[in-house]
Amino acid sequence: MTYSMVARCPRTGQLGIGVASYSMAIGLYCDGAVRANTGVTLTQGFPNPRNNYLAINLLALGRTAGQALTELIGNDRDSEYRQIAMVDRDNDAVAHSGANLRKWAGHRIGKACVAFGDGLAGQQVLDAMEAAFEAASPAGLDEQLLAALEAGRDAGGMAGAKGRLPERSAALIVWGNRTHNEVDLRVDLHDRAIDELRRIYVDYKPSIAYYDERARNPRNAIPAMEFADMLKNQRQKETA
Amino acid sequence: MTYSIIARCPHTGRFGVGSTTFSIACGRRNESVRPNVGVSKSQAFYLRYVDPLALNMLAQGYTPQHIVRTLEAGDPDFDYRQFGIIDRENNVVAHTGPGCGKWAGHTVGPDYAAYGNGLAGPQTVAGIVSGFLKHPDAPLEDRLLEALEGGRDAGGQASKGVPRPERSAWIRVVDQLDHPEVDVRVDLHDKSVTELRRVLEEFKRYRDYYKARCAHPGEAIPEEEFAAKLDAKAA
Repeated sequence: MTYSMVARCPRTGQLGIGVASYSMAIGLYCDGAVRANTGVTLTQGFPNPRNNYLAINLLALGRTAGQALTELIGNDRDSEYRQIAMVDRDNDAVAHSGANLRKWAGHRIGKACVAFGDGLAGQQVLDAMEAAFEAASPAGLDEQLLAALEAGRDAGGMAGAKGRLPERSAALIVWGNRTHNEVDLRVDLHDRAIDELRRIYVDYKPSIAYYDERARNPRNAIPAMEFADMLKNQRQKETA
Repeated sequence: MTYSIIARCPHTGRFGVGSTTFSIACGRRNESVRPNVGVSKSQAFYLRYVDPLALNMLAQGYTPQHIVRTLEAGDPDFDYRQFGIIDRENNVVAHTGPGCGKWAGHTVGPDYAAYGNGLAGPQTVAGIVSGFLKHPDAPLEDRLLEALEGGRDAGGQASKGVPRPERSAWIRVVDQLDHPEVDVRVDLHDKSVTELRRVLEEFKRYRDYYKARCAHPGEAIPEEEFAAKLDAKAA
């Protein structure tokens, strides 16, 4: 009851995850899933909490995504309950969807990306995610991941025995070449988590450069409140 | 403007951070806590590389006190930084540079540091501490949230005498394993600390189910069935 896109941007080397789930606080399960210049991975379904860390450690040792995936499956007696995706720094993308995941479950491997999910309405969810991800390519990895989630939702999202299940949590994570994330936004419990994630992202995006600059040059920084007011006025002008 | 508490649980050794601020998504700073190593949470005019650096130095064996001196020596704008560090031996340090504005400050205890900037006054930090100390035997995540609530109720943040809302809030607790025990966030909300209470309480209802689902997937019931059971119990 989760669908995700993990991807590497071949242009910038950025690594990222877009994920939405019926479970709450799905962003918690993305911990350790990205390392700069190394790779991106995610285990979902009935996730094995060790997997993200082991996968990234294996990629950092020099293993390929394919080799690391084989190791993860071999290390786990319940691998048929796990759904794993990984992209390494050579843009190799791999995935595993265990036989015991909730139906419909599957993955779709694209160019340096994997769309995958379980408890879905069907294959069309993943098809829509990849199409939207590719179409948004000029806008950058963060926009692409968010567009993929929105397309997955609009294509039917998740379904349980009694019909559609809402996206109650969502997360958007992008790393560049630093030792910390560039974007890490979450909605942990909400009736329309992807809409809420978009709302937060729109407000957050202009502040990234501001906070960077403010730390590097604190003596001349505009106060945070003034910056927030500037953004607000600008937005009001744009919508007027 | 931000206020935070970092702590090491005296009963379990778990590390945690609770933080709230006017800015969006304070919980994106998830590099600030590392299992079996410590906590380093910087704020005010923070440099993102500082927390990973401090934790890497803790992992090498340096003391928090030495790390502070190293950070100071390498940073011409050290006066604008505010941070706290705790290691596995309950060595706690905090720093509030004079450039962090009014009101900014910190209080250090035996296993915690409470600190903030852009606050209504010292009463906010006092509120954080009394919230944290209210239930000393409670799980660390509950104590961290009570600390944030205490800071908010004591006046929270203000700029030029005008109260400023807590728009994002976050709690993270790590035990010995790589993955966090608790990591709940509110990234943009008018009353984010109140919303964080709602999210944490809900998370606590699901936590054992989520753990069991990972460890014994063959025995797990579908989550929507579990949710219906929870709702029936609550009704």
